[in-house]
Amino acid sequence: MPPEIRVEGLSVWYDRHHALKQVSLEVAPGEVLALIGPSGCGKSTFLRTLNRLLEEGGRARISGRVFLGDADIYDAAADIPDLRRRVGMVFQAPNPFPFSIFDNVAYGPRLQGVTDRQALRRIVERSLQQAALWDEVRGKLRRSALTLSGGQQQRLCIARALAVEPEVLLMDEPTASLDPMSTTKIEELVAALRGRYTIVMVTHNLRQAARISDRTAFFAEGTLIEVGPTRQMFTAPLDPRTEQYLTGRYES
Amino acid sequence: MRDWTHGGLARGLLAATALIFLVAGLGLVAALFLGAWRFLGEPSALSNLFGDFWDPLRNRYGVLPFIVGSVVVTLGALVMAVPLALGVAVTLAEQRTAGMKDFAVRALTVLTAVPSVIFGWWGLQMVVPWVRARVGGPGFSLLAAGIVLALMVLPTFSLFFFQSLERVPQSLREGSAALGATPDQTLWRVAFRAAMPGLTNGLLVGVARALGETMAVQMVIGGQTALPSSLTSPGATLTTQIITDMTVFPPGTRGHAVLDIMALLLMLGMYVLVRLAERWGSVS
Repeated sequence: MPPEIRVEGLSVWYDRHHALKQVSLEVAPGEVLALIGPSGCGKSTFLRTLNRLLEEGGRARISGRVFLGDADIYDAAADIPDLRRRVGMVFQAPNPFPFSIFDNVAYGPRLQGVTDRQALRRIVERSLQQAALWDEVRGKLRRSALTLSGGQQQRLCIARALAVEPEVLLMDEPTASLDPMSTTKIEELVAALRGRYTIVMVTHNLRQAARISDRTAFFAEGTLIEVGPTRQMFTAPLDPRTEQYLTGRYES
Repeated sequence: MRDWTHGGLARGLLAATALIFLVAGLGLVAALFLGAWRFLGEPSALSNLFGDFWDPLRNRYGVLPFIVGSVVVTLGALVMAVPLALGVAVTLAEQRTAGMKDFAVRALTVLTAVPSVIFGWWGLQMVVPWVRARVGGPGFSLLAAGIVLALMVLPTFSLFFFQSLERVPQSLREGSAALGATPDQTLWRVAFRAAMPGLTNGLLVGVARALGETMAVQMVIGGQTALPSSLTSPGATLTTQIITDMTVFPPGTRGHAVLDIMALLLMLGMYVLVRLAERWGSVS
């Protein structure tokens, strides 16, 4: 059973800019939560606080608490590499390493110290199958990942994330740079992964949010405006700003 | 009326430039080859040439000591400079403040522009006495030349290495970090690997610079024409021997023909390096 995520009073500043204001939110185990909102509303920032990737840039200041299961990931004693093994991430643009397909997927397990070739091969095959890429790349695992199409690269990145057996999957507009066919494949994939992983996904595509998420959260100007079951959000939102955004009339 | 408006001028200039390159480049090789032929045409020229003894008065023209000198000095410089340069490059690439990076890049660029005679001068005053004090002998040695060269190519290596590390996309570093890699793991397993074409390229350019360097080496190597017996014995390289004997052998003499051959050998070495740089340095 994947863990739940509980966010309490989370704020983020970039220098003087207050990017995220007192966000509190819960994500239930195994659900798909969609984050929607206008550009610059803080949803990607929020996503990157969940695996502490925001700190890589070195500019962000963060306050508040984020619980993964029972543990506060911002605790001083928290093990960041272990956190990121448990919380996988897929980025907006596919970012495969310039290695072979096999080495891309095996990257995470190798970091954990897996060196046995048989074990690695099993992990790679399983992960590629889970990411619905196996049939397209079997027998070609030694080829450079950069020879794959954009959609295949993104599924490879998903396989790479799944290879370390995470419990949570963060997706930052995973289909933003893909064509409709590849987008459909990714969406089907997310539907297949639902339940096994807790999935938090940023998307600009409202139909996509409606299609694949269990619940939806609407952000605007760094504030969480509203979060609720997707069906209810799209049919009867509680906040007028949500309705304005969904009908294309929201102006930040 | 010539057609100057539709790229006629550009095409003309391009053709002229290409011709100049062709004439200058091929002309140089042809001139060296013609000069070298006087010696190469002799019977048993090659066995004389690849002998290990250089004594023109006794008709011995073995260039092996100089080939060995060139290779040893260049390798020595690499062994010292490459790890240091990688250290400099990594330190800079991991800096988060742009100001520090800019300053360091400027400083390194200035250092690459320091004339080699100044490095040689410095070697003469610092490195040669140091070697003399440490191991005895004259101090002028392959080792001294290697140290001076290492210092000289260090900024070049550092700049090239730094720039190829900087070109590794941030998205790859983030992708690695997001999989639970520590900064060290990301550096070793992703950044270096992704930067490898650029690193190789920089390495080969630096090697070419070290191999071709003359003045700084000439000032500290001692100019001995026998096969060097150790790192700390004096020696000579292909380049320094050419400059030493240039005035001794006027054009037309056999000695001059051998200098032409040495120049050809150098050019061949450079050509191989450039080809390697193209092959391994290209982005895969």
